[in-house]
Amino acid sequence: MIETILSNIALIIGTTLMYSTPLIYTSLGGVLSENSGVINIGLEGMMVIGAFAGAAIGYFVGDPWIAFIGAGIAGGLFGLLHAFACVTFGANQVVSGIAINFLGAGIALFLSRMFFEGATMTKSIPLDNKMPRPLNGVFPDGSLLNIIFDNQYATVYLALLMVLIIWFFMYKTKFGLRLRSVGEHPTAADTLGINVIRIRYLAVIMSGVFAGFGGAAMSLAIVSNFRPTLVSGHGFIALAAMIFGKWKPQGALLACLLFGGAQGLVVFLGQFDFEISTQLISMLPYVITIVVLIGFVGKSAAPSADGIPYEKEQKY
Amino acid sequence: MKVNFKNLRKSLYIFATEKTFGFTLISIFLGLVVGAIFLAVAGFNPFQAYWVMLRGIFAKPSYISYTIIRATPLILTGLSIAFAFKTGLFNIGAEGQFIIGSVAATAAGYFLHLPLLIHIPVVILSAILAAGIWGGLAGFFKAKFGVHEVISTIMLNWIALYFQNFLIYTNGFQKPGGETSHSIQSTANMMILKTWKQSESGREWLLQHPFWKDLLRTPINLGFIIAILMAILVWFILNKTALGYRLRAVGFNKFAAEYGGINVNKNMIISMFIAGALAGLAGALQVVGVSHKVTLIAAMEGYGFDGIAVALIANSNALGCILAGLLFGALKYGGTKIQMFPVKAPSEVINIVIGSIVFFISIPKLIKVILSRKTKKGGTK
Amino acid sequence: MLKRFITIIVLMLFVLSVVSCGQAKKESGIKIAMVTDVGGINDQSFNQSAWEGLKRAEKEFALSVDYLESNQDADYAPNMETLLDAGNNLIWGIGFKMGDTIQEKALENPEQNYAIIDYAYGDDTPANVVGVVFKEQEPSFLVGYIAGKMTKTNKVGFVGGMKFPLIEKFEYGFKAGVQLANPKAEIFAQYADSFTDAAKGKAIANQMYGNGADIVYHAAGGVGDGVIEAAKEQDKFAIGVDRDQNSLAPEHVITSAMKRVDNAIYNVAALLVKGEFPGGTTVVYGLKEGGVGIAPTSYKLVPAEILEEVEGLKAKIIAGEIVVPSTPDSYTEWMK
Repeated sequence: MIETILSNIALIIGTTLMYSTPLIYTSLGGVLSENSGVINIGLEGMMVIGAFAGAAIGYFVGDPWIAFIGAGIAGGLFGLLHAFACVTFGANQVVSGIAINFLGAGIALFLSRMFFEGATMTKSIPLDNKMPRPLNGVFPDGSLLNIIFDNQYATVYLALLMVLIIWFFMYKTKFGLRLRSVGEHPTAADTLGINVIRIRYLAVIMSGVFAGFGGAAMSLAIVSNFRPTLVSGHGFIALAAMIFGKWKPQGALLACLLFGGAQGLVVFLGQFDFEISTQLISMLPYVITIVVLIGFVGKSAAPSADGIPYEKEQKY
Repeated sequence: MKVNFKNLRKSLYIFATEKTFGFTLISIFLGLVVGAIFLAVAGFNPFQAYWVMLRGIFAKPSYISYTIIRATPLILTGLSIAFAFKTGLFNIGAEGQFIIGSVAATAAGYFLHLPLLIHIPVVILSAILAAGIWGGLAGFFKAKFGVHEVISTIMLNWIALYFQNFLIYTNGFQKPGGETSHSIQSTANMMILKTWKQSESGREWLLQHPFWKDLLRTPINLGFIIAILMAILVWFILNKTALGYRLRAVGFNKFAAEYGGINVNKNMIISMFIAGALAGLAGALQVVGVSHKVTLIAAMEGYGFDGIAVALIANSNALGCILAGLLFGALKYGGTKIQMFPVKAPSEVINIVIGSIVFFISIPKLIKVILSRKTKKGGTK
Repeated sequence: MLKRFITIIVLMLFVLSVVSCGQAKKESGIKIAMVTDVGGINDQSFNQSAWEGLKRAEKEFALSVDYLESNQDADYAPNMETLLDAGNNLIWGIGFKMGDTIQEKALENPEQNYAIIDYAYGDDTPANVVGVVFKEQEPSFLVGYIAGKMTKTNKVGFVGGMKFPLIEKFEYGFKAGVQLANPKAEIFAQYADSFTDAAKGKAIANQMYGNGADIVYHAAGGVGDGVIEAAKEQDKFAIGVDRDQNSLAPEHVITSAMKRVDNAIYNVAALLVKGEFPGGTTVVYGLKEGGVGIAPTSYKLVPAEILEEVEGLKAKIIAGEIVVPSTPDSYTEWMK
């Protein structure tokens, strides 16, 4: 009895890790960008292009890590576009982000047709060429740890590591301090000699890179190809997770895990024949998110200069 | 000759940079250019594609009608989001509010049996109310608990989607056959001349009069007029009423508004209520005028998300939403035509065009820079 | 002054040419076109299958073929109008969602031929419409039989996209087949409430495999990608649907319940070319008509004896000796 309860919990934990991973990467991207003062609504578009790039490169090259980095580069290019518009030209950052969502989706399909004989789906990558699964076979069959960690891809562990790295970077290094100061008081930072433009560029490009990783985590790990409906709103969920987590990496992580966990719960509950409609059960992750927000999280505030383009004071 | 050229460039510069409308036009032009580049790279003829699109929008009365029908919900969701922006809120929840509006409209349209003149207003009012509450809910969460409206509205979108499917599965609402709800009563139907044009005599007459046959084959309805009226109403509220003034003040600077004695919380809820009501109206009009029922949906249809782009193209200007909605409707409807012979281009090129247009609209400075260089060159000649 | 005059003339000509030209140029030869439902042309499922059928007919009969993708339900009607204006001899609606629209348009345009996949109008079929339906329960029955025979744990699973009558055909046909092969077998059935969330499909399949199932069948579109992925990872088996999905995981997809939409499209095209368009009727594609079947690559992973038994069952179904259940009620009847 206890056995089955525990193994069910283990199963839910396993599903949580799988579901949350793409969200974690993408929301980390959002954290980086917004803490430097640039709103990034375009996470969804960057995720889509990353998912496509990862699947395509993974198929043609066969090496998952090259594909993963390629996905990051693809996302980073869109990040560059966003930075170009927002930082250099002072664009309305929300508008630019929405534009990137359209462009990312459109260009991903466009390229897919070019490289895959007119199909909007990429071809499947064989299991061996996907991301590795480091802890496979490490734990004894049927044990709880095996249920959780069997078939978890390296992207999962990397994501958790990334949270740690980004947290350390932002709060324990002087680079992180500069980043945050640029997002809170760019004028003051500028007078102290910090190059606001350069830091914002880097932050926004990196946000694209991370969102690209998030997309690749879907097409190189969860499944083994890209199709147009793969990402379907996960970028926006990641955006919500970032806000939920109060623009901090550790908060974003918890929000993503909460969401993934709720999805795992939905899958778990779905196997029973309840009187309650499955549709209502499917609402759970979203309802839980709102309830937790109301009950436990409360007010959240963006970095002070978030969304305001920085204009250098003219000295002459 | 040379003098004319310089003047032309200068007036173009002024037109583009000082009049928002001109600037929007140039952004649209540049967006089309980017789309053309993509088409050319893929081996298609961009002129042919755009020509097909243009013909596909204007060449027949039914095409123009379809464009308008396509644009109507977008104008309203665009208004919803533009309104919210003006009051300092980001309403990504237009999609969910649209869904709630359409569900409420279907329920009121099916379960109630009222005479024609009363039924339609009742249906529309119930949709507006339901969707307004759905939007106001997000406003309430923000006002009372500090929950950011971006998160709450994204969540509410999904909840609305599952709610629609849930209702369709419920007995009484579900049409036997399982995938749709019952259709609304004919008294709730706003399609112009619907019963007549499907009757024997109607068909006879139409075969004799090709112009009307062409026009009436589309689900032409009064929705567009209502959308325009709404845009005017919203513009009026925002710019000419005390309520609008308060809402905009809150949007401009929450703290100053509070200091000035405005109840920020209450006004946030009112804002989201109105925004939700507008999006819900879009859903209601879609049901009453076009689809007459709701179906099981596997994914969001995008009216709300497209509305974000519409609001942004219109620079959150209520009247601008009409034009932006029409533009969007034209691009989306006309865009489908490039998939066929003779062009056979993929449909996502339209998304690239739309994305590019929105992108250029986001950076007024870029266009200023490009054009100012041009005038300088003209000047030194 | 002259410049301005010329500009105005050019603009006027432009506007006139746009507004006056109505019909597109008609090409010679028969034209057939299709409207996809919101799944899109490359959903790796029946929209793609339909297009393949059209392309085959194009080659075979020297036709012109076209398609239009729909992004929203509201697109069906305008898309059909567009195809009508383009002078197509036959317009297909791919998917039951277009049932009402096709009927409406058919009544509006009695001279135009229409056809629809997965919808039947019964006695009300307009004279210019062909309804094409499939007996999805039959191949599901056969793959269910294979699953029942091949399972070593006596537990199999079914993952559906969204629960409505079409998908239930797959579900109950499958269950009946499993029961016939293996009355002791336990069948897990779960719906993902989505046709696109692959991660959910993977999670559901993982759960089923975790509960002991060793073969999982899906009728869930993109969600099935996740199911097959789970089979790959866990080194278990999956069964595909609509097309031969063995290529997605050659060692793990033992068979697929094929729905030969491409054959249906091709056959109707052939009839049209011959001048025998079956307007006003419903064409039913079951095993007998070659409209459904199991994947030809089944021999790779399914033992020959089982395949022989399947052939026997096929013959019985065709002969009418076995009637496969396709709804919850008929399934309950079957079980008695």
